[in-house]
Amino acid sequence: MRLSRNTRKAISKAAAGAIVAIIVIVVAAGIGYWYYTQQRGPTKIIWASTQLVPPEEQSFVKGTLLVDFKKKTGIDVEFVGMSYSEMITRVTSEEQAGKVTISVIGDLHGDLDMLASKGYLMDLSKFGTLPGRTFPKVLMNYAKLHGIQAYIPWMTATYVMVINKKAFDYLPSGLTKEDVMKGTSKWTYDALLAWAKNLYEKTGKKLLGFPAGPHGLFVRFLHGYLYPAFTGAQVKNFDSPDAVKMWQYLKELWQYVNPASTTWDAMADPLLKGQVWIAWDHTARIKDAIEQEPNQFVVVPVPQGPKGRGFILVVAGLAIPKNAPNPQAAWKLIDYLTQPSTQVEVLKKTGFFPTVQEASKSIPSGSLKVLAEGVNAQLNAPNAIVAMIPSLGSKGGDFKSIYITAFQRIVLQGQDIQKVLGELGPQLMNLFKETGAPLPPPDSG
Amino acid sequence: MASGGQNRKNFSIVEKYLPYFLIAPALSYLLFFIGYPLSQAVILAFTDSQGRFTLAHVNYLLYSPQSMFYDALKDTLLLAAVIIPIQVIIALGLSLLLSTSFVGRDLALYIVIIPLTISDVAGGLIWYSMLSTNGFFNKFLMAAGLIHSPIHFFGYQYRAMEFLAIVLAEVWRATAIVFVILFAGLQMISKEYLEAAEVFGAGTWVKVRHIIFPMLKPSLQSALLIRTLFAFQVFGVVMVLAGRDIPVLAGEAYYEQTELYHYGVAALYALIIAAISVVVGYIYIKMFKAQYIREVSAG
Repeated sequence: MRLSRNTRKAISKAAAGAIVAIIVIVVAAGIGYWYYTQQRGPTKIIWASTQLVPPEEQSFVKGTLLVDFKKKTGIDVEFVGMSYSEMITRVTSEEQAGKVTISVIGDLHGDLDMLASKGYLMDLSKFGTLPGRTFPKVLMNYAKLHGIQAYIPWMTATYVMVINKKAFDYLPSGLTKEDVMKGTSKWTYDALLAWAKNLYEKTGKKLLGFPAGPHGLFVRFLHGYLYPAFTGAQVKNFDSPDAVKMWQYLKELWQYVNPASTTWDAMADPLLKGQVWIAWDHTARIKDAIEQEPNQFVVVPVPQGPKGRGFILVVAGLAIPKNAPNPQAAWKLIDYLTQPSTQVEVLKKTGFFPTVQEASKSIPSGSLKVLAEGVNAQLNAPNAIVAMIPSLGSKGGDFKSIYITAFQRIVLQGQDIQKVLGELGPQLMNLFKETGAPLPPPDSG
Repeated sequence: MASGGQNRKNFSIVEKYLPYFLIAPALSYLLFFIGYPLSQAVILAFTDSQGRFTLAHVNYLLYSPQSMFYDALKDTLLLAAVIIPIQVIIALGLSLLLSTSFVGRDLALYIVIIPLTISDVAGGLIWYSMLSTNGFFNKFLMAAGLIHSPIHFFGYQYRAMEFLAIVLAEVWRATAIVFVILFAGLQMISKEYLEAAEVFGAGTWVKVRHIIFPMLKPSLQSALLIRTLFAFQVFGVVMVLAGRDIPVLAGEAYYEQTELYHYGVAALYALIIAAISVVVGYIYIKMFKAQYIREVSAG
């Protein structure tokens, strides 16, 4: 059917009119929105954080913590979760441009160290002390960086071992349950090997497991646990005779490690399903297992190696960037987040441990107590070598990649240890040279 | 008459530009959602943090000992080569079976389509728990006395089994989409052709070979196209079942981006996947469309 010319004309006109109308509406709405956001002004403060970013944790922060904070102080807080490299990039560019939007930064010690070294953080000592709470001296010492009080310790976390109580029936000779629970000098990596071997020989199953999947934290075990325990340092002795011994040990141990480890990102599930009886992981990632079966599992310190008991202490702090839009409101938020009652709530929901001693005393019994006891035993065990995660900004990924590649090539593919370390060692040192980042403890101290 | 001529002139201008007006929304949609990200990906892949042109990401991808590009390319192609033929055969068989009528056909239809509603990660997790050392599969075989120690499906040492697990999970999960397309295509074939064939004494095989298969070709093309493009994006199932033991292109892109912060390398992976998809799409369309038209015009 052919339409008459007039009809075609009418349709054309209507269509053109409709398109023009749509464009006008869209442009008007855009201008209106822009005007609206410009008018609102700084009624909100922005809290940028690399911690508590996973969805469940974020919903707890936004839905519980910040709602409560607003009720108490009337201050609106916008929580912005970001990755480590995003944080460094954003704070750096805001400081360099002189237009700071962030009022509070929640980040790990290493990143805050880096930001403080550039002079981007406010000296918090001018705000005075926070009444009613005591921070452990060691944490306060870490927070004094480059001549200022760079941050207030906010949360701590670490990586521990979880034991299914059934495994204690298969202890190797010379090792007692007491040794393991308290972390005595008999609880060594050799003892762990003997235990895993014994479990395999008696049960026919490989019951030791690590989170060595693509998003697992096994890399932290390599650089922050094994390396300090065997070589006394995380980075410095990457390619050394002690390191060769360490890799030989890991190859031997791997014969008794559940092979599915290379697919696991977190150990809570394999522990609950009984696929492993001994596991190592971040406290937050095993919390589920202990919560569901608090009577089945115990949390114990990690074993010690020839050089000591290496473990990572993760310290998150709260800082205020220089020229922050609203430092007074920012300080109120820091005050709120470090109150003992808030800290216990955070522990319950996320598995991050309090930094104030008053909060540690009021941890309820049950699963959290199991976790807290294990963490405390690890912190207080003899021969401790505390390691911190280095702050390499966007090169942090390459740092992890080097240790993981070494593991894949040496342990999984069976390549020559000396050759692999010789190839990767210079790359590792280069990362610190390129970024100018300081070597992390224990290398530095 | 003068005013009529003026009107006519105006009208022809409107008529001339109207098509452009009308495709403008679609075009701006394409530009914004495809053109813009694509150009951003190209920029990411070939510039350094200062915005200068660099081939560093390409060099990393191809030559760094930390890059798994060749393994990822090989395993992605291998997975596609194994999974797609199995899926097409099963889907074809199922759709032929379900076009006949029998008791419980509707129920069977629903059951076949169920996996379509499950996300790839969830599908992977289901198979992971079934195939793990103390999962249903091993427990069943051990209870039946067929094996004495569990069969390992997961871990670097058992990559062949991991490959098998991925194939199983993908076939279970994504055959339904092929099935739905082929089944719909089958419904569209007029019964008259088949009845005519029966009149002339054609058997089942002859009907399948000379009527159903040729008329199903357009559907087969769509199904193959969709499945192959999805196969190059395979990700969730592999991540859950094999981690990086069996690297795939999309998985490496994600890993480089989120774990190693190599945004340029991740962008390169994305561009490579896009390039492969375009090439595969082109080949399928050429291959099938030409034949389809020839047969129709010949008929």
